[in-house]
Amino acid sequence: MIKNGKDFWAGAMFIAFGIAFMVVSRDYSMGSSVRMGPAYFPTVLGGLLVALGAVVFVRAFVSQLRQSFAVFRFRWGLAIAGTVLGVVMYQSFAWWVAMGKGPQLLQYVLNALALILIVLSFGPKPLFVITLAVIAFGYLLKPFGLVITSAILIFASAWGGHEFKAREVLIIYVVLALFSVGTFVFGLGLPINIWPDLG
Amino acid sequence: MDQLVAHLALGFGVALSVQNLLYCLTGVLLGTLIGVLPGIGPVATMAMLLPVTFTLPPTSALIMLAGIYYGAQYGGSTTAILVNIPGEATSVVTCLDGYQMARQGRAGAALGISAIGSFIAGTFATLVIVLFAPPLAEVALKFGPAEYTSLMVLGLVGATVLAHGSLIKAIAMVLLGLLLGLVGTDVNSGVARFNFGVAELTDGISFAAVAMGVFGFAEIVANLDQTGKVKREVFVKKVSNLLPTLQDFKDSSGSIVRGTILGSLLGILPGGGALLSSFAAYTLEKKVSWNSANFGKGAIQGVAAPESANNAGAQTSFIPLLTLGIPSNPVMALMIGAMMIQGIAPGPQVMNERPQLFWGMIASMWVGNLMLVILNLPLIGIWIKLLTIPYRILYPAILLFCCIGVYSVQNSPFDVLLTALFGIVGYVFVKLECEPAPLILGFILGPLMEENLRRAMLLSRGNPMTFIERPISGAMLAVAAFLLLITMAPAVRKTREEAFVED
Repeated sequence: MIKNGKDFWAGAMFIAFGIAFMVVSRDYSMGSSVRMGPAYFPTVLGGLLVALGAVVFVRAFVSQLRQSFAVFRFRWGLAIAGTVLGVVMYQSFAWWVAMGKGPQLLQYVLNALALILIVLSFGPKPLFVITLAVIAFGYLLKPFGLVITSAILIFASAWGGHEFKAREVLIIYVVLALFSVGTFVFGLGLPINIWPDLG
Repeated sequence: MDQLVAHLALGFGVALSVQNLLYCLTGVLLGTLIGVLPGIGPVATMAMLLPVTFTLPPTSALIMLAGIYYGAQYGGSTTAILVNIPGEATSVVTCLDGYQMARQGRAGAALGISAIGSFIAGTFATLVIVLFAPPLAEVALKFGPAEYTSLMVLGLVGATVLAHGSLIKAIAMVLLGLLLGLVGTDVNSGVARFNFGVAELTDGISFAAVAMGVFGFAEIVANLDQTGKVKREVFVKKVSNLLPTLQDFKDSSGSIVRGTILGSLLGILPGGGALLSSFAAYTLEKKVSWNSANFGKGAIQGVAAPESANNAGAQTSFIPLLTLGIPSNPVMALMIGAMMIQGIAPGPQVMNERPQLFWGMIASMWVGNLMLVILNLPLIGIWIKLLTIPYRILYPAILLFCCIGVYSVQNSPFDVLLTALFGIVGYVFVKLECEPAPLILGFILGPLMEENLRRAMLLSRGNPMTFIERPISGAMLAVAAFLLLITMAPAVRKTREEAFVED
C-alpha cells in the first residue's frame, strides 16, 4: 500500500535517471581506478542515485507522512502514447536523417507531438501552454523577428494563466515589445532580428 | 595592516570609478526591485542578465551581479513588512514581526531598522571578507586534487544538510546535478558523453538553461497552478517616520550585533548564505532577547536580527567563492558561471592574478550597501506602487526577458528548448518536494569534481585511501560525515524540520 505518493514518484524518478545514465555509460570506456575512463564517474554516480532512489521508493510504503498517490493528474493513455512515439522516434533517428530534407520536417513535428503528449499527460494547462510558447519563441525568433515572436509568447502565456483580458494583454505586449527592442537590440546591441527575415 | 590598507585603497579606486558606480547602482536597484516583487528571485534575474554581462568588462559585470544579490535582501524585507508576503525566501521570518509592526502603525520604524541593520551588517561582513579572504586563499593554493575533491564533497554535503525537507532526496538531487553536469565532451578522453547525437550538447548543457528552467519557468508554472490565489494587499499606503526612534535603536542594537555575527559565520559555511542566516538569527533572538515574549506581536528585535543576518550572510557567502572557487549556494554558482563566461577561472589565484577585480568587487559591496541605505528609504513609495502590479501582468514580462536572455547567451534556439524542458523537470521537482538548489550546485561542480577525483586517483596510483590519509582532505571528509550523522539524529532532525517551517 502506497502511503506517500510524493516519495513514490520521486523514488521512481531517481531510479529511472540513475539507470538511464548507467545504461548510456556502457557505450564509453570504463578505464581503471587509476586511469578512469569517461564511463567511470557517471556509472558510480548513477549507481548511488539508483540506491538512494530505491530508499526513497521503499520509504513511500512505510512513511508516516500521508501524501496522495495522485500527485499529478495522470492521463495514462496520453503518457503511454507519448512514450511509445518518443521511443520509436529515437530508434528511427538514423532512418529519418537518411530520408532527406522533406521528411525531416515531419520528424520534427512527430518529435514535438511526442513531447506534447507526455507533457499533456500529467501537467496542468499553464505548464504545456508556456512550454510550447517558449519553444516556439526560441525557434521562430531568427526567422520572424522579435516583434512577432514576442507577441506569440506573451499572448500564449497570458492565455495559459487564469485571467485573460485581451485589452490588458495587448497593452502589456506593446510596452514589452517596445522596451525589449529598445533595451536589448538598440541599447545592448544583441544580435536579434526585429522584423521577419525569411531569406 | 599596511597591506590591508593598500588593498582597500586599490579596491575603492576601482569601485569608485564612474562606470563601476553606475553598474553597482544598476545592480542594487534591480536587486531591490526583484526583491520587492514576489515570484522572481535573484537566481533567475542573474541568469537573465548573464548575456548582458558579456558586453561589460569583467569587474563591472561581477559588481553588478553581486549588487543584485545583496540588493534583493533589502528589497525582500519591504514586501515582508508591508504586505506580509516575503519578496524573497530570506525575508520569510521578517514577516512575523515586521507585518505586526506595520499593523500597529510602525511600518516606518520597521523599514528603517531593517535598512540600518542591513547596512551595519554589510559593513561588518565586508570587513570579514577583507580580513579572512587572503589567508584562506593562501591555504587554498596549497590544496592538491585530493583536498579539492574532499572540499567539494563537504560543500555538497553542507548544501544537502541545509536544504529543506528530506535529506535523502537532497542528496539524490546532488547526484542528479553532478550527472547532468557531466553531459558533454569529457576533457580527458575527448569522448562526447550523453549527447544522444545532438551536436549542441557536445559543449554540455548550458548553465543558464538549467538555472532559468528550474528557478524561473518552474516557479511561474507552479504559481499559476495554485488554485488558491495569493492576494497581495498593501497594508500601508503611505509610510511616514522612516527613522526609528532612539528607543528603537536602544532596543534593537543587541539584536543587530548578534544577527550580524551569526549571519557572517553562517554565510561562510558551505551550503549557507542569506536564507539560513535569517532563520537562525530569528530563532536565536527569540531565545536570548529580553523581549522574547513579544515575538510575533511586533517586536522590533524580530525584524532587526534576521534582516541584519541575511545581509551579512549574503556577503560572506562570497568568501568560499573568491578564495576556493567553490560556490556555497545557487547564487554563487551563477557568479562562477559569469566568471567563466568572462574567461576567469574561479579559485584562489584570482586574488593575485586580478587584484583589481577581487578588491574592486569587495569594495563595491560596501559602496552598494551605502547606496541602498541612502536610496531605498526615499524610494519606498515607488516600491509600494510596484507591489500593486498583479502577477498576471508580471509573469509574461519575466518569461519574455528569460527567453531573450537564454537565447542570447549563444544565439541558440536549442538553449531555449532546453530551458523549456528544464522548466517541466523543475515543475515535477516542485510537485515532488525535491529542492532544486542542491541540483544546481552539483551541476556546476560535476566536471570539476570528476577532474580532481581522476587526478587524485592517478597520483595515488588508484588507492582511494589517499582521501583519508592526507590530513586536510581527511578532516574535511570527517566533517562531512559528521554533518550527515548529526542531521540524521532524531533530535536534530526535529529542530531542522521546525526551523524550515515557513509559516
